[in-house]
Amino acid sequence: MVAYTKLPPNHEHSSLTQKPIITDGLDPLAPIALRSRKRARRPESVLSGPLEKVYLIWIVGGSCDGCTVAVSGATHPRVEDLLRGNIPGLPRIDIIHTVLSVESGPEWVANLRMAANGELDAPYIVAWEGSVMDERQSGEYGYWMGLGEDEDGRPITSLEWLDRLAPGAAAIIAVGTCATWGGIPAAKGNPTNSMGVMDHLGKDYRSALGLPVINVPGCAPVGDNIIETAAAALMFLAGLAPLPEFDELGRPAWLFTETVHRHCPRAGYYEEGVFAHEYGDKECLVELGCWGPVVQCNIAERGGVDGHGGCMNMGGICIGCTMPGFPDKFSPIYERAPGALLSTNTNRVVGGFIRRMRQLSQRDKMRSKRWEGSEELPSGWGRYKTQPVGAERGIHRVYSWRQHAKEGR
Amino acid sequence: MCFKNLPVEFDASGKARLREGVSSPYALTGAGQKSFVRGAKSVGSAVAPPKLREWNIDPVTRVAGALAVHTVLDLQSRTAVEAHSMAMLFRGYEIILQGRDPRDAIDISSRACGVCGGVHSTVSSLAIEMAFGITPPPLGVLVRNLGEVAEMFYDHPLHLGLLAGPDYSTAIVSVTNPELVERAARTPAPHSDVHGFKTVKDIMDGFNPLEGSIYLEALEHTRVARVMCALMYGKFPHPSTLVPGGVSTTVSTSTFNEYYGHLGRMFDYAKKLAGIWDDICDFFLEANPAYAQVGARQSNLIQTGIWDNPAVYDATYKNMDVWGDARYSSPGVIVDGKLVTTKLTQVNMGVEEFIEHSFYDDWTKSAPPRFTTDMLGNPLSPYHAWNKVTIPRAEGRSFKEKYSWDTAPRWDRLSMETGVYGRMWTTALAKTLPSNPYLEATGSGLRITMPRNELPEMELHWETPAILNAFERNRARAYGVAFTAAIGMICLDQAFQYWRKGETAVSTPYTVPRDERVSVGMWEAGRGFLTHHLHMDKGKLINYQINTPSTWNASPRDPFGTPGPYEEAIIGTPILESLPDEEIKGIDVLRAIRSFDPCMPCTTHMDTGHGIITREVNSCSCTLE
Repeated sequence: MVAYTKLPPNHEHSSLTQKPIITDGLDPLAPIALRSRKRARRPESVLSGPLEKVYLIWIVGGSCDGCTVAVSGATHPRVEDLLRGNIPGLPRIDIIHTVLSVESGPEWVANLRMAANGELDAPYIVAWEGSVMDERQSGEYGYWMGLGEDEDGRPITSLEWLDRLAPGAAAIIAVGTCATWGGIPAAKGNPTNSMGVMDHLGKDYRSALGLPVINVPGCAPVGDNIIETAAAALMFLAGLAPLPEFDELGRPAWLFTETVHRHCPRAGYYEEGVFAHEYGDKECLVELGCWGPVVQCNIAERGGVDGHGGCMNMGGICIGCTMPGFPDKFSPIYERAPGALLSTNTNRVVGGFIRRMRQLSQRDKMRSKRWEGSEELPSGWGRYKTQPVGAERGIHRVYSWRQHAKEGR
Repeated sequence: MCFKNLPVEFDASGKARLREGVSSPYALTGAGQKSFVRGAKSVGSAVAPPKLREWNIDPVTRVAGALAVHTVLDLQSRTAVEAHSMAMLFRGYEIILQGRDPRDAIDISSRACGVCGGVHSTVSSLAIEMAFGITPPPLGVLVRNLGEVAEMFYDHPLHLGLLAGPDYSTAIVSVTNPELVERAARTPAPHSDVHGFKTVKDIMDGFNPLEGSIYLEALEHTRVARVMCALMYGKFPHPSTLVPGGVSTTVSTSTFNEYYGHLGRMFDYAKKLAGIWDDICDFFLEANPAYAQVGARQSNLIQTGIWDNPAVYDATYKNMDVWGDARYSSPGVIVDGKLVTTKLTQVNMGVEEFIEHSFYDDWTKSAPPRFTTDMLGNPLSPYHAWNKVTIPRAEGRSFKEKYSWDTAPRWDRLSMETGVYGRMWTTALAKTLPSNPYLEATGSGLRITMPRNELPEMELHWETPAILNAFERNRARAYGVAFTAAIGMICLDQAFQYWRKGETAVSTPYTVPRDERVSVGMWEAGRGFLTHHLHMDKGKLINYQINTPSTWNASPRDPFGTPGPYEEAIIGTPILESLPDEEIKGIDVLRAIRSFDPCMPCTTHMDTGHGIITREVNSCSCTLE
């Protein structure tokens, strides 16, 4: 049971008149829950399903805002397209978010209060960013994370909002490794007893639509992973698509089933037993501390931003940031994993042999038929004689004979 | 003599020492520094009795992270008369860093802030290489520089377009000041040939949230910037290629070529932003000169410098003043508009952090300071980061006592702000830039040459403002994009040179030292000042302290009663809305706050300590049960 913040006994009730809250829905600084009602429906939205709009309440606990930053950089789809209702068939998202909302302070908090009281005119999804910090540990009157206050001036913790909003939410999406598994604020030595959203809400939690918590891990997640999951959930809500597939930890199964190593552009070096020794080398990073072979993530094929970059793609080791064991089970971060000793050395032997065989074959394939028998390459760039001699020549002949045997030539 | 309040003097050779005959040099005595007094109206002197409205802006939106501001508006004098800035979040990162391999700090401290995606990992690498005694190769330094250039291209447009911009939009101004929108429609935009908006109202339309072209273009340009970051850092936010002694980025021929292609797109955008913000700021200030008082405070600025010169940087504390001065953006301290030092050691030794109004206990009472001097013998305060042991104590909020998770950093016991404008300001005054085709410091401003793209080559001039207010902060941030692009070109030119010469190494081998080491990383985030102070022994961290720009800007009052920069900027801000008293929106207060580009995530957990902390906090909850 969570203890909510109380007003301290010595709290001096302010004798000052409070600045009145804006309730005119035509005022751009009024709560979006009021403004949204005044907004005209789009007459041209033929494809729209039963749902014209959905509220997205994005609240943070022990967060660095990195997931917000990640999602705002996403391109499939772009966040502004969802917020503007530009995607046919998908409901428009009216967002309640501290970084993006137009309204501030009491007007902003009014949105949350209306949602908790069931007064919104459309369903709401809760996106939670950051760890759930245990507010039982912050004392009777204090808070680890305060987010708005009640009419009497009592600070409300963001965790209290989660508890108030969870039962009525159409879905809860835990965004990022802090929200999913606890992340760095939950690492060894932490004073806030941090945890993930599921740890807090429990195994039996179901949203108003009957869904357990949806988890999109990563520190920060690839922006497209967040927004694609949200879009998939919206398509389901709009009656367009089936419920997307989630794995046993509530992750979007199509994004997090494979290990990142399987799609790593350097995995070929691993296979051939060639490893980077210094930072900046182009080969496989496992001996520099990369955990890619055991980490479920898709950044290697999806890229970091709009298809560009990616950790190992650019030379960064995988530190396991999508995994429930992050960070403590991946530290010390810059040391090679003990298991890599066996796997890399095995591959040095086996992969090293295969690599040499491939190089042999490669030397043959890099000469056109026309060049056969000539001492030199016809290229002005060529500096070396490339005609195979001796045993290698024999091997190529045998290989070629075997390769073309079934073609009857 | 840069110190006026701390009893620190310098001998003939420039070495610092404590003034003789001062019995307790760092005692918390003395009155508060005199607050900035505005020209237009003096606070509390209204003839009629005040008509006060309390307004607790919790949360302040369109800032990064958890910020709340308590303010009192006097509707009689139409001024904000009181302000308390509250950081609302505590996570305890430095407690988590205790006892870890120092290298882990690169990736763990990075997660302190996802808004300034790579600055924490970078400054952490700097601290670690100083501790390990290694110097990164030139190309490693340049890749770091270019990554940070890209990060600013994400940071400044995001703030200008999405966070601050809407406060100047038609949607909002037509409610708060309809007469200004009418006037804007009649006012041709002076820089329309650059940005294409015919009237000032067209610019204000562009700022409309989610609809306006400036808003949407900003978001799209942050994506270009993030791609540039990803080229250097792999990932954004939280880069994956920063390592002790350089970077692990696999630099290929395409790396710089692709980067150059994207950088070219920023030249025109920089020109447009400067024109847009010149036009909007001048319009407001001409329409009503009282706007100059919105968010105004004394020009006290502190900067740590950023973008190292690879030929000079050697990562040693001994030469810190030399390589600090060689940075393309100069470190330094400005007091009341005058540059008092550019030396990083002096910036470092003058910093103290106070917790009188923060949810922590005073560490100086439990044990003597670990360090009375730095490695060169310069005196250090018990409140200095290397001595700091923070003991968090969550408790009820009281404006007379404790009200923020943020501490109160002070330099020479002065309340300092920091930001992109500060870094342009110190660079302009310090005049230490090497000769180059893109950027020149004139002593009173900057001359920035933006190469041609679609628009022709242009020379932009930024002058240090006479009064630092909300408009000048935003204007400078807009010019900051060009400033950054110029430095991007300088660094890219150099990167190509080293690449041509075949000096392609990006990192230096190292071993983790087992003996005791003390070091500091000094660098800048988008918003300015950033330090990581490191203390390690036997290959493990003993203490790790983070001080961020918004720690300064968002700070609560200090033991001497001086408000922090947000607070100073709000107190005395006029309410210039043309609305009846009961309908006041408070937009000018919000403009004042947002002009700092607040970023709270990493402001609020620079807290360290030993096992004690957890027990103390537990005892709180025991009382509860």
